[in-house]
Formats: sequence, structure tokens, C-alpha cells
Amino acid sequence: MILSGWETVFFWFFSIAAILAGLLTVMARNAVHSALFLISSLVSVGALFILLGAEFIAGVQILVYVGGVMVLFLFVIMLVNVGAEEEGRAPIFNRPAQVAAALIFSLLLVVALLAAINKGYVGLRDRDAAALKQTETTRSEQESKMQTGATGVSRITTQTESVGMSLFTNASLPFEIASLLLLVAIVGSVMLARTLKQEAAADDVDSEVLGQAPPAETGTDNI
Amino acid sequence: MSALALLAPLNFVDSLLLKFFSEQTVNYIIWPFIQVGAVVTITALWVAYATYLERKISAFMQARLGPMRVGPWGLLQPIADGLKLLVKEDFIPENADRWIFFIAPYIAVVAAFIVLAVVPFGPDWAVITDVNIGILFVLAVSSVGVLALILAGWSSNSKYALLGALRSSAQMVSYEVAMGLAIIGALMFARTLSLSGIVAAQQSNSIWFLLYQPIGFVIFLISGIAENNRAPFDLPEAESELVAGFHTEYSGFRWSLFFMAEYTAMVVVTAVATTLYLGGWYFPFVYRLTEAKGYHNAYVVVSLIVFLAKAGLLLYLYFWLRWTLPRFRYDQLMDLGWKWLLPAALINIVVSAIAIVTLQALDGSGLITIKSMASGLNLTAAGKGIAIAFGVLNLFLTAGILSLINWRSRDFNLKQQRRQIRLVDLPKGKPAVAPAVSEP
Repeated sequence: MILSGWETVFFWFFSIAAILAGLLTVMARNAVHSALFLISSLVSVGALFILLGAEFIAGVQILVYVGGVMVLFLFVIMLVNVGAEEEGRAPIFNRPAQVAAALIFSLLLVVALLAAINKGYVGLRDRDAAALKQTETTRSEQESKMQTGATGVSRITTQTESVGMSLFTNASLPFEIASLLLLVAIVGSVMLARTLKQEAAADDVDSEVLGQAPPAETGTDNI
Repeated sequence: MSALALLAPLNFVDSLLLKFFSEQTVNYIIWPFIQVGAVVTITALWVAYATYLERKISAFMQARLGPMRVGPWGLLQPIADGLKLLVKEDFIPENADRWIFFIAPYIAVVAAFIVLAVVPFGPDWAVITDVNIGILFVLAVSSVGVLALILAGWSSNSKYALLGALRSSAQMVSYEVAMGLAIIGALMFARTLSLSGIVAAQQSNSIWFLLYQPIGFVIFLISGIAENNRAPFDLPEAESELVAGFHTEYSGFRWSLFFMAEYTAMVVVTAVATTLYLGGWYFPFVYRLTEAKGYHNAYVVVSLIVFLAKAGLLLYLYFWLRWTLPRFRYDQLMDLGWKWLLPAALINIVVSAIAIVTLQALDGSGLITIKSMASGLNLTAAGKGIAIAFGVLNLFLTAGILSLINWRSRDFNLKQQRRQIRLVDLPKGKPAVAPAVSEP
């Protein structure tokens, strides 16, 4: 991805925001605050998708993750009682030795990443030096080829159409399999979450277990 | 034409701006700012006078007069109310989560207002922006509005507010599904997600999608009203049970922001319903009488008025329903969402797909049904007839299937079913779990 003009500003703004919000998600004491930071991280990633020209993915990201998944997260968090962590009584950091080990390893990771990125950057810079100069002109050329919107000024991408075409032709079988997998996951999580005790309790009086005669076959129970 | 004379300054302003700024600056920065300013101002005015309208219409329905004291016919009442709200104390409960309590109303307002950016109020300069994912953008941003309600309810640290927030999250997530599925039928005919493109498809067909998609329109409207938490779906703020629901602890300016968000969200739903099903700003003969004769600005203004009239009719429906229907019970609300609207939306998708496949199949054999596929599905008169027939057929089909699905659904007894189908195979006569059960 070669950045040019204002794109650079937006890219750095949103990527730094995404990383910071991600960090705060882990560090916040309050679960609702964590969820909020996760939402801001997701929104920033959505903005990065728009910079890539993937508007459809950005829209779906907001619709599914922010509007759906995170709402359910908050729903569950609100039903949970306020824990000791939230009130500031329990320590959220582990023992010093563990913290030190984690810090050293993450530092190593950061150094390695920086070295790798730097090497890659130098290589790419040499390769893309010419391309970088032309980016802006090629970008505006590409944009001028796009269809004009209703305002007559803005241009419209055809990214949604291409996503739709590939979803309904090449990717239709994996798509259906993924949806089936999600359904199985939902049923499975319901089954796992219910304990034997709850099953028995939901059955009200368990005549079989209590060793009495089973209820009448006619099904005329008084409930 | 007087409208033309009135709009001559527009072109004048444009040429004046071009003298000082580059064309790009004028097109991408200055004009959009003017458009945004106009839309925000008009919507804010609408919010103020919607409260007046609501009181007047309720008074009309209950044979009262409504506000009469402030100004002629009480016309200055909204201004008095606004001033009162601004000078009221902005109270924050003691144990509230201050930051979240602070930002929740702003999330609500921003989520409601941003959607107006993609709504095509008219052709040409009456659109702020036209994005490829128009309708998806509307759904995505309005789903963010749910967050505001939940956060407001949770951060207030009050039972009533929390209950309202829990209700609203469950309600809005359920009705969002039906709403998202309901529009797919119309999108199949429009072949685009762009809202301006959807209007253009209806204009080139010279038809309203309401005729192809009567069921889709009804589902969209019902779930739209539920999304807005308006009566009869106002469970999150049910006055008789929860004081004021999620905004119980809010006062003054912050409370008025929630109010503003609610009325703006109403505008959004009606505007999207108009765009999708009632042809947006398209009305027969308008193009031929204005644009074809060279009166471009008059064309835009007349289209704008057409759009506002259609949206206004739907907005009246909101007030009408609020003062006519009693509130749903919670289980009735969930039943309507999951057992009626969702299956109906799925049936609508299947029938619309069958209609389009039939049209394409018939197109090859003698009868010409499709003119072109360039901008939407452009049908001939015969094709339109077939599509409308499918729409009408769908009404009966949906009614039949729904009544079949929900046949004696009230008699459904989970406990009895669980006794007949045993999920856990317990050995007979062994009281393995019995003590735990008998304890409570």
C-alpha cells in the first residue's frame, strides 16, 4: 500500500488510534470501559478499510462488530455483578517476575519487528521510489475512470459489486459452510452453558429420577 | 417561474466562490459544508416543532386544544421549552460512571445525524454525498445508536435506567435483523446499495418499489418504528413501568440531546423508507414539466418538496400510531419480531428472487419483460405487471405461511416438550440429581 497526500495523515491517525484503543482495552479496570475501547479500535480498523477502498467491508465491520457483537457483549457485561477488580481492591498486575519476563519478551518482539520492518521498508523504498512519485497521478487517473455519483462531483467505487459477485459465485459454498459452522457453534455453546443441574431443574419434577411412575402418555399435564 | 427566479442566487454564489477558491475546494469543501449546515439546521428546527406537532396531534385526537398560550396557537411553545431545557441544572447522579454518562447522549445524536449525509433529498445539489454502500452505511450507523442507549442506561447507576437499557438492546438487535432482511427484496430490483442509485432505478422504471414490495415496505416500517423506540414499541422508556427508561437520570441539555436523537432517527427511518419504497424524490411528470424544459433548479426544488411531502406523510404515521395503539407487552414484542417479521422478511426475499428469475426466464421466450439491466432492473409494461402480480401474490402467500407457522404457537409448552424428549439420559431409579433439585 503506497500512501499519498492526506491518505498518509488518515492512515497514521487511525492506525495509532486502533493500537492505543487496543492497549486500553486490555488495561482498563472496568469491563464496560474495555468494551468501549474495543469498539473504538474496531471503528478505527473500519476507517482503515475505507482508506483501502474496501467500503463494503468497512460497513459490514461496523454493522456486525459494533452494532451486533459489541451490543451483545455489553448486554452480558451489564448483567454481571461489579467485581473486586472494578472497585480497585484486587491487583490487576501479576508478580514482578512475571511482569518483567513479559516485558523482556515483548521488547524482544518489538525490536525484531522494528528490524524486520526497517529492512523491508528500505527494500521497498528503493523498489517503489519511482512508483511513489507517480502514485498521485495514477490514483487520480483511476478515480477519474470511476462512475460519478448522484452529486456529479464524487466518484463511486464498484467494490461492492465485486464482493457480491465473488460471494455468490466462487465463494458460495465456503460461505454456506461458514454459516452452518456458526449455527453449530450457537447450539453447542447453549448446550455447554447449561449444566446437568439446570437441565434437571428445568424439567421441574423429575419423576423418572425420583423413581415414580412416568407421567401419563396423553400429555395432559397441569402447568 | 418564480422558483427559478428564487434560485438564481445559487448560480451567482457558485460563480462568486469560484473567483476566490479553486474548483476542488468549492466542490469538495465549501458546498458540502453549506449543505451539511442546511440539513442540520432544518433537522434541528424539525425536532423543535415535532414536539409541538406531537402535542397538537395528540390534542386533536383527544378533543383538546393542546399548547395555546405561548404565541399564536402556541407556536412559540418549542422555543420556550428549548430555553427551559438549556437553563436547567445538568445533574449527574453520585455513583454514575461520569465519562460514559457524559458521552452517551453525544453518541446518540451523532449516530442519528450522520446518516442524513447519504440520504438523497433530491437530485443534483440536494444530495450531500452519494456512497456506494449507502443503505449499508445507514444500517451500520443506526446500529451504533443502540450503544448510546445501553451506555446511558448502564452509566446512570439506576435500576430503571438499566432495565430500559437491557430492554432496548434486546429489542433493537432483534428488529435490526428483520429490517436488514426486509430491504433485500427492494435491493434486488434496484441492483445497487447506493441510495441515489435506488431512486434512479425507480425513476428509470417510472414506478415505486412499493408496488413490487408491499410486504417489504410493511416490515421495514414496523421494524423502523421499533428501532426508534416509539410507541407502541417504547418499552425501553415505558413511562408507566420504568419512569423514563434509559434516560431517567438525565436532565437539561443532555436529556434534550436524547430527544433530538429520537426525532432525528424518525426522520432517518422515514427518509430511507421513502427512498427505498416510495420512489424517493421521484414523482411522475415532474421531470417532463421542469428539467426537460430547461428549469434545472426548479426541478431540484420540486423534487425536494415531493420528497419532504412523502416523508412527512410517513412521519404523521408515527404520531398517529403513538396516540392510537397501546404499548406491547415484552413477550408480544419478541413474538412479533422473531415469529412474524423475520419469517415474513425471509419469504419476501425468496418470492422476490423467484419473481426476478421468472422475469429473466420469460424474457427469452417471446414476451419481452426486461428492457435493460444497466441502472436497476428496467422492466417493460409486461414485466412490471408480472412483478406487481408477484408482489400482490406475496401478500397472500406471506399471510398463509405466517399463520401456518404461528398456528397455535401460544399453546406451545416447553416444559411438556422437555418431558417427552429427554436431552440428558439419566439412569432410571438413581437419584443422581434429585437432591440438588429438591433443595430449593
